[in-house]
Amino acid sequence: MKESLRQSMAWLHTWSGLLVGWVLFMVFSCGTASYFRDEITLWMKPELHQSSHAVVEQGVAAAQIQNLLQQRAPASPRWFITMPTGREPAVRASWAPPPSGEEGQPRGRRRFENASIDPLTGQELSAARATRGGDFFYRMHFDMHYMPVLWARWIVGICAMFMLVAIISGIVTHKRIFKDFFTFRPGKGQRSWLDAHNATAVLALPYHLMITYTGLVTLMFMYLPQGLGAVYKDSDAFFADLNGGPRVEAKASGLSAPLTPLAPLVAKGSQLWDGASVGRIMVSHAGDSAATVTLTQQDGHGVSNNLPSLTFDGVTGGLLTEADKSGAAVETRGVMYGLHIGRFASPLLRGLFFLSGLAGCAMVATGVLLWAVKERPKHVKANANGRIGFGLRLVDGLNLGGIAGLLIAMSVYFWANRLLPPGLGGRPDLEIHCFFTAWGIAAVAALAFPQRWMWRIQLAVAGVLFALLLPLNPLTGGAGLFTSVAQGLWPVAGFDLVSLLIGCGLLWASRGLGSAAKAPLKARLAKVAA
Amino acid sequence: MSGASNAAAMVAALSSAAAGFTALSLAMDRHWEALHGCGNVPRDGQRRLLRWAGSGGLLISLLVCLVVWGAAQGWVAWAGVLTASAFALVLTLCYAAHAIVRIGWAAAFVSVVALAAVLSLLR
Repeated sequence: MKESLRQSMAWLHTWSGLLVGWVLFMVFSCGTASYFRDEITLWMKPELHQSSHAVVEQGVAAAQIQNLLQQRAPASPRWFITMPTGREPAVRASWAPPPSGEEGQPRGRRRFENASIDPLTGQELSAARATRGGDFFYRMHFDMHYMPVLWARWIVGICAMFMLVAIISGIVTHKRIFKDFFTFRPGKGQRSWLDAHNATAVLALPYHLMITYTGLVTLMFMYLPQGLGAVYKDSDAFFADLNGGPRVEAKASGLSAPLTPLAPLVAKGSQLWDGASVGRIMVSHAGDSAATVTLTQQDGHGVSNNLPSLTFDGVTGGLLTEADKSGAAVETRGVMYGLHIGRFASPLLRGLFFLSGLAGCAMVATGVLLWAVKERPKHVKANANGRIGFGLRLVDGLNLGGIAGLLIAMSVYFWANRLLPPGLGGRPDLEIHCFFTAWGIAAVAALAFPQRWMWRIQLAVAGVLFALLLPLNPLTGGAGLFTSVAQGLWPVAGFDLVSLLIGCGLLWASRGLGSAAKAPLKARLAKVAA
Repeated sequence: MSGASNAAAMVAALSSAAAGFTALSLAMDRHWEALHGCGNVPRDGQRRLLRWAGSGGLLISLLVCLVVWGAAQGWVAWAGVLTASAFALVLTLCYAAHAIVRIGWAAAFVSVVALAAVLSLLR
């Protein structure tokens, strides 16, 4: 190897990016959608679009849900309450069923029951259709689907390491970061692809570095689990140790005692946190003399994902413990985790995260496309009859299926959510099967015909499907755009408008591909050769 | 933090960063040429002024972010603000280069108004 550093970095950048590009595009797209996970879930449950969205005082909400839980789940060992926020106006509760007495039942296998209520009236909201909603995209972006979770996380982790290598080698190999900072020259073939790749990479570089590195950190306990396995019997014990939480679950005493009202505890917690709201409440053994109430702070008051919590005696309402301040390493990881998932962010800041995420998708997409654009002239030169080699054909197919195909699959997922009958059994899984079926068909078509007309068709299909989500919403029971804007139902209105924008953008891209095709191919090839 | 002051701060940060980037881009030969014709370069004084004004715009947007959202979230917000405003400028330079000076002044004007709004809302 007698190459300069920059040349060897260019080689590294090309191959580390191309080999995992299609997985990275999926991770970036689904991860970007996950910033609006709650909003997507709300859109996918049109039954909830009608409930009131008044902001209710936390104490009132806590009293309402306590009332419901004392009627519905008096014997449950544990209640989990999620307080209303600007993004999710209902109070949600879930509870573990009373222990059946069978020992050795694996934990986590018991089905939790849940309910959500209108915090103002205390009325239980009609059960919404079953769907994974935005959680599917969140899970998909590091757990994938149809495969063991651990394998998926290894695959995503390895791809993220390639990504980090690609970013750093890309910085080294990019000679003109500042000279070309604001440069984009459209309509110039390979030059334009490179400009677009550079702009989406450089202008959002802090985000790309942050999201890739913190993404690796969030999965860091899974890469080499053997060390943990040698010391700890199960990983729950390890995390309890790490986070300073209770290792042994408190046992019920068997003596009954009424549960203290939750509303004053919520007010106390908020006061101790200088006005920060309560996000989650966990009640253990309600109605028992050993009951405890743990409050966890709501997101949005820092960056870290390690949120402060307080534990109260469930009978007297006295403060028992404040969770130990975590150590520097744990807190660092908390901040990185928090930065990655961005739950602290206000809607505007979340919009900036979303925009940077879209830049990431575009960076990966333009990167893999650029490889094909650079490679094509070599093949054309080598074969007079215009046939291209297997490798390029495969990359062309994967580009088409991995980019346009995924966009079709995402829009089909939303259509399936609205078109499958609400009462259907196994509905959440069916929606996901629709996602993968659509993707599979698109990918087969892409590999069979990796040509420009197929790009036009697939982009147009995805564009139409995304754009028509706006009228589909009111036609299938959701709140239409006028209703949602009038009622200030911004999550739903935002979903409709962003899908319309994405749809129009894809249709525009499909149209643009058509007009570019009109330029005689030979003339362009001659220019490339010159 | 009310929604109004959040929104005003976001507008102030975005517009001052956009105005700053516009000035910085005009200090570069390529973008100056696109506006003033081939071979035309800014005088030394002009270039220095554009660079100072541009850096000032970026600095103001950083200050807005740090004051309104605190050190932890402020830096994160600033990175996002820079990304968004730089993308807006790239598209403007590409598709509406002739209007770049007017757009730059408009951004500076919006930033002054929004800064005044932020200051009055924070008080």
